Amino acid sequence: MILSRLWRGLAGLALVLVVAWAAAAAWTGALDLDHGAWAQNQGTVPGNVHGTSNDADFWRQIRRGMPGKVSIPNPQAGVLVQSQGDNWRAIRNGPVLFYGGILLLASLAAIALFFLIRGRIRIEGGRSGRTIPRFSLTERIIHWFVACTFILLGITGLFLLFGKHLLVPIIGKAAFGVIANASLQCHNLFGPLFIVGIVAMFLVYLRDNGFNMVDVRWALKGGVLNSGHTSSEKNNAGEKIWFWMAVLGGLSLSVSGLMMEFPWWPTLELLQWANIAHVVVALGLIAVAFGHIYIGTLGVEGALEGMTKGEVDVNWGLEHHDLWAEEVLAEIEASRTKRRSDGYVPGVQQGSPAE
Amino acid sequence: MTAEKAVDAFLGQIDAAVASYLESCVHCGECAEACHFYEVTRDPKYTPTHKLKPMVRAYKRHKAPFSGLRRALGIAPSEVTLEELQEWSPLVYDACTMCARCTLVCPMGIDIATSIRKMREGMVAAGVAPQGLVEASERALEKGSPLGVTLKALKKQIADQEAETGIPVELDKKGADYMVILSAMEVLGFPEVIGALSRIFKQAGVSWTIPSAGFEGTNVGVQLGSRDIARELLARVVNAAETLEVKYVISPECGHAYSALKWEGPNLMGRPYKFEVVHILELLEQLRAEGRLRTKGKDGRRLTYHDPCQLVRRGGLAAQPRSLLHQVADGFVEMDNAGLGNYCCGGGGGVSSNERAEELRFKAFAKKKEQVDKLGGVEAMVTSCANCRNVLEEAVDEYHMDLEILGLTELLAEYLDDEAA
Amino acid sequence: MTFLELTEGPLWYVAATVFVVGAAWRLLGILRFGRKPDLSVPRASAAGGAIGAVIRHSLPRHGFAERTAYHIIAGYMFHLGLFALLLFAAPHITFIHDRLLGVSWPALPRWGFIVVAEVAFAGLIMLWVRRICDPVMRQISDADDHAGTWLTFLAMLTGCLALQEGNDVLRGIHMLTVEVWMVYFPFSRLMHAFTFVLSRGYMGATYGRRGIAP
Repeated sequence: MILSRLWRGLAGLALVLVVAWAAAAAWTGALDLDHGAWAQNQGTVPGNVHGTSNDADFWRQIRRGMPGKVSIPNPQAGVLVQSQGDNWRAIRNGPVLFYGGILLLASLAAIALFFLIRGRIRIEGGRSGRTIPRFSLTERIIHWFVACTFILLGITGLFLLFGKHLLVPIIGKAAFGVIANASLQCHNLFGPLFIVGIVAMFLVYLRDNGFNMVDVRWALKGGVLNSGHTSSEKNNAGEKIWFWMAVLGGLSLSVSGLMMEFPWWPTLELLQWANIAHVVVALGLIAVAFGHIYIGTLGVEGALEGMTKGEVDVNWGLEHHDLWAEEVLAEIEASRTKRRSDGYVPGVQQGSPAE
Repeated sequence: MTAEKAVDAFLGQIDAAVASYLESCVHCGECAEACHFYEVTRDPKYTPTHKLKPMVRAYKRHKAPFSGLRRALGIAPSEVTLEELQEWSPLVYDACTMCARCTLVCPMGIDIATSIRKMREGMVAAGVAPQGLVEASERALEKGSPLGVTLKALKKQIADQEAETGIPVELDKKGADYMVILSAMEVLGFPEVIGALSRIFKQAGVSWTIPSAGFEGTNVGVQLGSRDIARELLARVVNAAETLEVKYVISPECGHAYSALKWEGPNLMGRPYKFEVVHILELLEQLRAEGRLRTKGKDGRRLTYHDPCQLVRRGGLAAQPRSLLHQVADGFVEMDNAGLGNYCCGGGGGVSSNERAEELRFKAFAKKKEQVDKLGGVEAMVTSCANCRNVLEEAVDEYHMDLEILGLTELLAEYLDDEAA
Repeated sequence: MTFLELTEGPLWYVAATVFVVGAAWRLLGILRFGRKPDLSVPRASAAGGAIGAVIRHSLPRHGFAERTAYHIIAGYMFHLGLFALLLFAAPHITFIHDRLLGVSWPALPRWGFIVVAEVAFAGLIMLWVRRICDPVMRQISDADDHAGTWLTFLAMLTGCLALQEGNDVLRGIHMLTVEVWMVYFPFSRLMHAFTFVLSRGYMGATYGRRGIAP
């Protein structure tokens, strides 16, 4: 009993010593690798030691990701070569970058094309001069808070992703180094604020974004592409899809972003997947956001004021969100009638009911 | 040309305090949350600080530090125009009762009510003050009272009250301790207050009189925003008091009258008075504390107290009416925000004399109604300003509310123990 | 002369001079209008009222706290965050020690700096987004309001971008934006950082002598 314990202890100690020795050997070897010129001149394999192990096998194991032991708190530092890192880098700098870039350009091109064909979608009946409340102050504030952080994160994220290929040739490596460093700080700083914003957005906007048959009909009729009339609630199917994209995409960005903001927590493999997911989801959201921004500003007359002043023209409401607008108008009429029957209400109530 | 007059008048009002008010606003909009006119309409043009805009522009163009530099660079605010002043007239006169509630909430502590009072000087100079107030001030100057109350009318009311109470009222008694002045609204609408005072003063042994010249306490000049008119109307009271050599002048149950006489008055006259100004609430509370105001029985109704803005927020009389009310009422309940934060009746600051503002005034009463409704089952609302009382009575009628509006002095007199005298 | 030497040298002195002289000029310009002595008989102390008002208007007000909670929370987040960054960021303390006062005090740890910066930015963004979508704030806001907010945002942002302290250019950009901010300050509504004492004080004195505490 005692003997077996002793034996196991000695064996353990021996293993530790071997690994430590291997790690030390690897480390010195790595240091030697830094002297690339020396290595080439000598023509020898680093870690050129004699003993029980075969150098070629030893390096093969390391190349395949065999973990060693290290004394620093991060056990992942024990992996000297993580081969998947190469795959990750190849994917990120290859297809993701290429198709991602195409996606953004395609989104802009589609918007430009749509503008050329459809032009600005005007309020057909002209402005009625009467407005109805569309988004509450809370909704507006959350929207713009998320928008601010999204834009800051989007710009700095695009710098980090494409800068190496698009900016370096123009401004050089030194200048891009400054921009990249700054972008990373900014990106890390505003990430957590975006998370807070997107959670608030989910909670506040959820009730108007459930799907139903109206959305199916709207989508079948062709949605915004249809120049005829398509019935819609407060949000049409397109807006609802955008809401869910923003919420689910935002959630995905949040989780993957937090992993990268606190990289000592997940495994390297997870981090690599997180990074790819982060980039893909972000590119997707940015591409759709281009469209969202276009529709909200230039594309549809009278849409922006719903998100700035909180009120839209009645005709705008009836043309774009008829079911909702009729409901709001009926509510206003009902509350007026009720107040009249409750007692005297002096004068004509102007504006909207209090939020 | 007239816009220039307004600008001159605006600039003439600027001292370090007003300048700091006009300089400090950070455009946060909190003041809207305190303004009953904004609250009932939700129209952003009623944001209190917005009402000052033309005056701010004139100040920043002509008088503020760096204004010369700004003009030289062509980046000073543009000159105030007559059209702009006309547009602002309803904001400054119809939609502000100078109730000063906005100051409570202002993170910069800006005295917007006082700034509006100063701004009205420029509006008068430009001739854009509302007709109703201008006419009231003309009546005050010509006939001695904004409602056209003549000495003959006052004497008639006094005679009625003498008959009622059996106590004679001596006009122009030289050397009396106290000189009572009245607001026109009291003389016309609530003359019972004269009888109430007779009885209270008889019991307490106060020597008092009413002047036959200068009996009108209301100062339309202050409401209209004209220093000259305010000074002339005030001088009548001051002269009467000093001629009669009284020790005290009693400011009546009227909000602006107290502010005008007590706080703005000596500065308008350019000298301290030879007498002291006390508000009727202060005197009554003093009499009560000294045991000279003896009452019998209590009003059992559920009643509440409406603080006149000029008395509570700009006059400093919050404790007195409450202590007096407790003396004669069992069911006294306080509204939300009672005291310093109480809502205006909607018709102060000359708004009630301004026909143009009537619709908005009734609308603004909704905030008062909200306060009262929240208490539930309130049968009467007591106040100590004849103007508030009249405005509240009219509004209660408009809203078909079952609520009696009472004057505090009369309520006290009702429970006066006459035999104890 | 490098960019950093320029921004930490001549430009810094120019900006600091404009800031100090400009702000003093503006404050004295307001005080110079003076006030006529108040001839009415006081009920209480004007000085006490002034001090009370300066304190009171920093605090939420009974009866309004709920209605104005957004501004109170965002306002405090931003202002407290800003002052913490200004006074307790390690590079600022070094700068104050080396260039201004010759004294120093303990700095925020890095994680503390980041937490404070998050809070300050959240507050500033909250205040600004309300300015663009609240009808009341839209009605009363002008270009100066937005310029002041944006310059403050940029000064804070460039400071955070230089967080690594590994790059002279980023430090220089932060210095430059702060200098632009300092030059803009005396001519803008950013001056409320000083004038609030005047407006609260004068109001408090006026009503303090009447025995009121609005």
